[in-house]
Order: sequence, then C-alpha cells, then structure tokens
Amino acid sequence: MQLTPEEQAMLDGKEGKAKRKAMELLVALGAIYGADRLVPITSAHLSGVSYKTIGEGGIDFLAEMSEDGKVSVPTTLNPMGMDGERWRDMGVDEHFARRQLHIISLYERMGVEVSCTCTPYLLTNRPKVGDHIAWAESSALSFANSVLGARTNREGGPGALAAAITGRTPNYGLHLDVNRKATHVVEVEKGITKDEWSLVGHAVGRKLGACIPFFRGLGNDANGLKSIAAAMAASGSVAMFMVEGVTPEQPDRVEGLPVVKISRQDIEATVKSLRTGTGPDLIAMGCPHLSESEMKELASFLDGKEKKGDVEVWFCTSKGVWLRCPKEIAVLERFGKVLCDTCMVVAPIEGTHKVTASDSAKACSYLPGLCSQKVHCGTRRELLEMIL
Amino acid sequence: MKIKGREIFKGRAIGRLMVLDEAFSFLGGVDPKTGILTVASGREGESIEKRILVFPHGKGSTVGSYTLMDLKKNGHLPSAIVNAQAETIVATGAVMAGVPMIDSIDISLLRDGDRAVLVGDGLDMMDLVEKKVVTCVLRRKGKLLLLKRSQKVGTNKGKWAAVSGFIERGERPEQTALKEVAEETGITTARLEGRGETLHIRDGTHVWSIFPFLFEVGDEEVVLDWEHTEHVWVDVSDLKGYDTVPGFRKVLDVLGL
Repeated sequence: MQLTPEEQAMLDGKEGKAKRKAMELLVALGAIYGADRLVPITSAHLSGVSYKTIGEGGIDFLAEMSEDGKVSVPTTLNPMGMDGERWRDMGVDEHFARRQLHIISLYERMGVEVSCTCTPYLLTNRPKVGDHIAWAESSALSFANSVLGARTNREGGPGALAAAITGRTPNYGLHLDVNRKATHVVEVEKGITKDEWSLVGHAVGRKLGACIPFFRGLGNDANGLKSIAAAMAASGSVAMFMVEGVTPEQPDRVEGLPVVKISRQDIEATVKSLRTGTGPDLIAMGCPHLSESEMKELASFLDGKEKKGDVEVWFCTSKGVWLRCPKEIAVLERFGKVLCDTCMVVAPIEGTHKVTASDSAKACSYLPGLCSQKVHCGTRRELLEMIL
Repeated sequence: MKIKGREIFKGRAIGRLMVLDEAFSFLGGVDPKTGILTVASGREGESIEKRILVFPHGKGSTVGSYTLMDLKKNGHLPSAIVNAQAETIVATGAVMAGVPMIDSIDISLLRDGDRAVLVGDGLDMMDLVEKKVVTCVLRRKGKLLLLKRSQKVGTNKGKWAAVSGFIERGERPEQTALKEVAEETGITTARLEGRGETLHIRDGTHVWSIFPFLFEVGDEEVVLDWEHTEHVWVDVSDLKGYDTVPGFRKVLDVLGL
C-alpha cells in the first residue's frame, strides 16, 4: 500500500503511540484486502462498546489507545450494555456497571461522542452521498451504504477506531465503484407489509449470503429500510442493497441478474426458523433503535389502552430520540421501560431473562447465541397484542 | 530452509510450531485465563503460550480480536501467528496485542513441533532441508513418456515417473531439465513447451521443491540409462493403471495436462 509522507510519519510513531498502533492496523488490513492506498474519511462509527462483548481485554486496548489517542473525524458509538442511568432497573450488577462506565469514559477521553446508538444516522452522524466513512455495526453501515449512498466496508470495532484516529481507511471493497454493483434482483410478493420487512431481510440474507440485492417494486419506508438492512446484515453479511426508485445508487442494468422471489411461504418459514420459545418473560422492541416516528406510532397505538399481565417490556432507543419524545415516553412507560443507549442483544440479559420476544429478525438471530435466550419472533403488532 | 510469506504485523519470534489443521476462532477456541485450547479447537488441553501458532485462517465472531488482548493481560499469548490466509479478526487481534504475524504461507509444509524463527515476512525452518529437483514430462503425438524407476535409485524404486533429477548448485532449472532429458532418455532434440509453478512437498525433514517442465519430442529413439528399466508412451486417460511416484498428478495439473 502506498502511504503519503504524513501517513508514513504516523506509522513511524512520530505522531504518538495511538496513531502508530492505528496505522499499523490499517496497513495490516490494507495488505490483506489489497488496498492501493488509504482514503480520507468524513466520519466513523464504532462497535466494541458493551463490556459484555469486549471485556477486560477490550478495556486494556482502549486504555492504551486513549493515552494519547484522539479521533480526528466525527465519531459515534454503538449501544453499550446498559442504560447509563437506569441500569439497576435492568438488573445489571454494580461491577458490570462500573466497568461499562469506564469503557465509555475511555472513548470520551478520545473525543468520541458518547451517546450510544446503532442508528447514528437518525441523529448527528448522517453522511452524504459519496462520503467515504469507516463504520462498524452491520445494520448502520448497510443503511449508510444503501440508503445514504456513503461508502464503507464492514469494519470491526478496532479497525473503525483506527480509522477515526488517523482519519483514513484502506481503499478497497465498497469504497470502489466496481464493487458497488447489484448482484441479484429481489421481488417481494404483494401483500407482505412493511411490518414484515425485517423477516424479508432475514430471508434474503439466508438465501443469498453476502451479495448486493436490488429490490424491485418494494416501495419506500424509512423505518422499514432500517429493519431490512439490519436483518440482511445479520443473516447474510449483506453490507449494501438497492431499492428501486429509493436508494441513491441504482443498478446500471438488471438484465441477466438472477431473480429471487420472496413469498408469503418464505416469511412463514423464517418466523418458524427463528421461533425457539414461547411464553416470553421479556418483550423487546428497538433493534435497531426506535426512531422518532416509531415512538409516535407506538404511543398513539397504546394511548388509552391498559397493560395486561406482568411481562417486562423494553422499548430501546437512542438518547437523541428519547429527548425528542417526552409525551410518547409518558405513554410507553405505562407498558414498559423506555431504555436509552442499550438494547436486548448487548445487555447482559442472560442473567435476568430466559425467553425474549422481538419483532427484529436480527435480534432473534443473535439472542440465542449472545444472550442464551429462547426466542419468540413476531411482528410488532403481535408483540403488542401479547400485553393488551 | 526459508519459507517466504507476507508480513501482517512485524516482529520476531523463535520457538516450536503448533499446527492446527482447521480454521480457528480465538473466541471459544482458547481459554483466555489459561491459554489452553478448548475442545472447539480440536486440540483440547494444549497450551498456545509462547508457541508459533499456525492455522489456515481465522473464523467466527469479531469479538475474537479482544480475546487476544485477554491472553495478553493474562500472559498467555502465542509468540507469533502464521496463517495461510489472514482475515480481519485474527489480524486485528494480532496488531492490538502486538503479536508478530505473517500469512501467505503454504502451511502443508509445516509440522507440529518444528523449530522455527519468524523474521519479517518469512519463517526460517531450522531443521528443514530443501531439495530442489526438476521433473520433465515428455510428450510425443499427445502421449506422455513414463519411465519405471530401477532398484538402483535412491527413492521410489519400481514406480513410474517422468524424467527427473537434482538441480546442482549454480545450475538454472532449465539447464538441469535439458541435461536430465538427455541423460535419462538419450533424446537431445526436446523442445521446451511449458513450465509449471514450483511445487513443494514435505517429506520427513526434507521439502521437495519440484520445478515442472513440459517438452515436445519427435521420433528420436528412447535409450534408458541405469536409473530406469522400462519406458512407455501413454495417454493421460490411461495413467490410472500405473503406480506413479507421489505428486505426479499435481505435476500434470500445474502443466495443464
């Protein structure tokens, strides 16, 4: 990989230890993927935030990097393992909370914006068409590539941090035009609603794996796009997709591309494959984090109704959206907890719950492995009806 | 012998190899508290600490990068990592924890317990000796020449083979090839038609480095020397009936036959 004199100086340690380590990591990744050079980025989004996933080893790494490391572009964080204020309500223990807050303070010391969300694009970190960025968090980076037209590979947490510190990322993969071409045409059967787009995404990812699908005649719905991006990334490592008439990048040509149909049967099979438990002791929505319009929809549906039963309910969202929705929160809090900066997948719910219900195919894919949960998968309406 | 690869993270290491045959995940594959491999690695109970850890490539969750930091904290890091093909998770962990790492290594040449020095982009295998040989496939009217090795040769007695011989010090492989063809078959008008990429085969403490050549020959009569007892011209499709030397099929593959 060809380095500029400035980049070489970072690699040689002339700009401190953190920049050196960051550059070493970018050079290693560049070598593996055959990048010709580094490309400047306009923003970064980091995973590797929950104490549950990165542990003490992760803390050591962040402590080293934060000795003299500062991010050089706007940088946001993924959800952490608990709500920063209501962690006791979540059943999180003191030790976990202390170590989690320590992780956040290390990121803060490096200049990272420390509200923690998987939907940074709904708030302050919204890249523009053609921007090169370095994002971890598979759902957010797919949304950025696809819906926003920005350019990022599937970064890991440390790689994205290295990019944030140096302001650069290796130029390969989805940074290059040649790799941003549709590979398949996907047609979704009429009658499948936007409430089911998460299941559609799961089915597409399972069928096609890492690919760039082009959805013909799907329609447009910002919340649906957020769900479909998350589900396809989780089941098929899909980092980019296109939607006819919606996404800024469209296929040059669709003739000759294999056509895949998603039918009602596929949706039913998906629900069945994800359903491993019944009788949930936690119903969790907000994977990815609920947007302002979703909070409003939920609140207007639930307003005036009474909660039945005592199953715990979580509405997970970002601090930014939480601040904009005081009235909605007042309604939702009668049914469950509106939690910020965290979610059911990265919180240590394996210690507190056994069966979790979610409307997110992504959450339903990860909950068994990461949280030892049995899973009840259903649409949002179905979940709400369980408590009414 | 030296085996050259590609530097992923710089550094030096000396020690014995631990060679895992399968793709490896640090997360779940090793206990970070002890450095001992788990059942998931296929080598339960052995420690990776201070070993040069060899495996084809990484797999599994991105959280695996942090497992290397845990191993570092607890003092159980391997002294280096060698992969056939590096990927993000292991490479990231290696750089984070400061473990020297190389890839693009033909790990089929490496055995558990081999002593090695890792420097820069390669491995110096202290106990391995490289033996360089040419192997020359002769073709006449579409048929290939097979020679039956005599009882007087050092290896593969009685097996069918192509023309072959050691490359002497200072000799270029093409020179050796022409010389051996003349010595073993008496043919002096062979025309070089193609050559394949060099093959490496581990055999005890030796690595055979085989330089494959393809020659087109005319009607010249075959005159054998002491190394062979019989010869036969055969179609590629009829090779199955012959007990050939190890790696013969690979030689034909790299020559496109």
